[in-house]
Amino acid sequence: MSVISELSHIHVEHPQSDEDRRAQRKAAGRDNKAGYLFLLPWLVGLFVITIGPLLASLYLSFTDYSLIEAPQWIGVHNYTRMLGDERLHQALKVTFIYVFVSVPLQLALALAIAVLLNQGMRGLSFYRSVFYLPSMLGASVAIAVLWRQMFGTDGLINQVLRLFGVDAHTGWISDPRYALSTLILLHIWQFGSPMVIFLAGLRQIPAMYYEAAAVDGAPRWRRFTKITLPLLSPIIFFNLVLQIIGAFQSFTQAFIVSNGTGAPSDSTLFYTLYLYQRGFGQFEMGYAAAMAWLLVVIIAAFTAINFYASKYWVFYDD
Amino acid sequence: MAVNRRQFLTGGLAVAAAGMGLAACGKGSSGGGGASGSANLQFAWWGNPVRNKNTTDAIAAYTKAHPNVKISPQPGEFSTYWDKLATQTAGNKAPDVIQMDMAYIAEYGKRGALLDLAKHGADTSKFVQGSVDSGKIDGKLVGINAGINTPTILANPKIFEQAKVEMPDDKTWTWDSLRELGAELTAKAGSGIVGMGVFFGDAMLSAFLRQHGKELFTANGVGFEAADVVPWFDMVLGYQNAKAIPSAAALTEEAGKSVDQTMLAVGKAAMQMQWSNQVEALTKAAGTEIQVLRYPSMTGNATDRKAWYKASMLWSASSRTKYPDQAVALINWWVNSSECANINLAERGVPANTDILAEISPKLSPTQKAMATFIADIKPELAPTPVAPPPGGGKLNDTLTRYQTDVLNGRAKSADAAAKFVDEVKSNLKS
Repeated sequence: MSVISELSHIHVEHPQSDEDRRAQRKAAGRDNKAGYLFLLPWLVGLFVITIGPLLASLYLSFTDYSLIEAPQWIGVHNYTRMLGDERLHQALKVTFIYVFVSVPLQLALALAIAVLLNQGMRGLSFYRSVFYLPSMLGASVAIAVLWRQMFGTDGLINQVLRLFGVDAHTGWISDPRYALSTLILLHIWQFGSPMVIFLAGLRQIPAMYYEAAAVDGAPRWRRFTKITLPLLSPIIFFNLVLQIIGAFQSFTQAFIVSNGTGAPSDSTLFYTLYLYQRGFGQFEMGYAAAMAWLLVVIIAAFTAINFYASKYWVFYDD
Repeated sequence: MAVNRRQFLTGGLAVAAAGMGLAACGKGSSGGGGASGSANLQFAWWGNPVRNKNTTDAIAAYTKAHPNVKISPQPGEFSTYWDKLATQTAGNKAPDVIQMDMAYIAEYGKRGALLDLAKHGADTSKFVQGSVDSGKIDGKLVGINAGINTPTILANPKIFEQAKVEMPDDKTWTWDSLRELGAELTAKAGSGIVGMGVFFGDAMLSAFLRQHGKELFTANGVGFEAADVVPWFDMVLGYQNAKAIPSAAALTEEAGKSVDQTMLAVGKAAMQMQWSNQVEALTKAAGTEIQVLRYPSMTGNATDRKAWYKASMLWSASSRTKYPDQAVALINWWVNSSECANINLAERGVPANTDILAEISPKLSPTQKAMATFIADIKPELAPTPVAPPPGGGKLNDTLTRYQTDVLNGRAKSADAAAKFVDEVKSNLKS
């Protein structure tokens, strides 16, 4: 009986609830209108500044476009051209080395410093600021110029080495064997923002886990690998994905240090730098747009891989 | 945990940013005809503090004399100037009057972005011979010489004294004797000074090719073959082996420096290749009167060295300007009036207008006078003016430097580097 009565109950109630819903929807519509109105500045920005140019660049990637003359449709030629472009392959090689060496090292350093700072030391906010400082400056032109000076053949680094009796004349940024490593070092040095995020994450790990582990006699290293790392894994994942995306898009350092050429011998020819050379140096904006889209695909692929792989190592506490 | 998957998705938006950088602005509307006399001209140039002041003063003088012309100045800095100009041109917002460079004039001129100035009354009747042609693209006068330049070797006499080496006779020296001189200076000057700073760039390659009957570019494209560049790379290697030039690493670092920071300027090199309009800046930086020398020849006879005048920069006008006549009138005033010349003097290079040059000569600094004399003296050594780099050829120097660095670092043989260099220069040209 209960089933039938409940069914009839629903049946009776249905039209009423429909009316209600319509009224609710109307009210919601009014609310939404206000919402969209408030969102308008952002939406305009999204469509005019982001999506519009995005679609335009997708179109341009199928054209021969010199910036000066109107674009000419040439189909997939820009994409097939990439296959035979040796400098593009060099740019990809440089960028992949840069991303896959600098990001793990930077994150490891950021985590190590964050763990150190999380020991409840005095003057934490001071140290935190000091370590964060390079990140605020790092992408700036001034720092890149400074590094160019410091790592020159007669720069500060070599002068300090000479104080210790080393006959140092190495061009840290001008010798093709070392130039990329120096830029990687510059990237690692900007570990501040992942460090701050790690620090916030460490603060949220309940102390009771460590206390319990200490009672059970777990040594420090085990506490780190069995408590800290798993509980911090979503943060690590977050930093990893963002830093990989950011590293793929690096431009300023190489642009300033190599004066926009990717010198010496294309050893610092970042992908975005080559894209810029093609677009603005050679007036091949169509090809540059195609390169930009290849970069979108590459970054999307690595982000997707990251998300897929995260199932196996990221531990969500919820 | 502070971060969950959903919040994290916002991070994905950053991916979209990758594709954002490149896109053209929509075409602006262009309408309205040129009203007679009155005009509103956008005037773009790149420069330095001195030039910016001179140019602003000259603009003020012009607008005072022509109250119906309004000029909006767009000063810039060389490296970013071209990105901006390309973007403005793409958006149909190119300035009316444009300070142009030889490296880019064909890029714009061949694509119809520049006005044929001769059709609107451009006056170059007083210009010295060989100074007008460089502004012609496909027979149209799209740029007017704003100052004459010629490739030179600049020398610091103090370092020669210090090394107890005599100044060479630049009318008889050859590429070989220059190498020996450079090596001698490096050996004798001491304290890490080298004989020559940056030297082997596109200008000297052009001179070398011309002395071998070739050109960087001809009307049909690239004017040389790999076989012509092999002896060049071998020669550069010879200079390095003789220690006449610094290490490849030091040369790479030089490329990124402003002219007042280069080895010649800071007293670390006795000589350096430089365009003639840089003498004054280098004299100031080095704190001593820098001497201007001819670049060498193959034969030891300066009249065989195939010298040329280059426009240090040019005045162009946008082909889409609403005020073509007024834009050309302004350019005419700029290059032909004593009023403007007295404000700018030889800051953009030695004026091509001979009357104007004679008029301002007494006001020039000793360095500028020496430069003007040098430019007049080399007239018998001039060969036909090289054609402007065709579209895609403006960055030849970067390509050359890259392959040359490979050769100097022992990463490539001259023959391989030459073949790849020529291939790349050719493939960069737009047919």
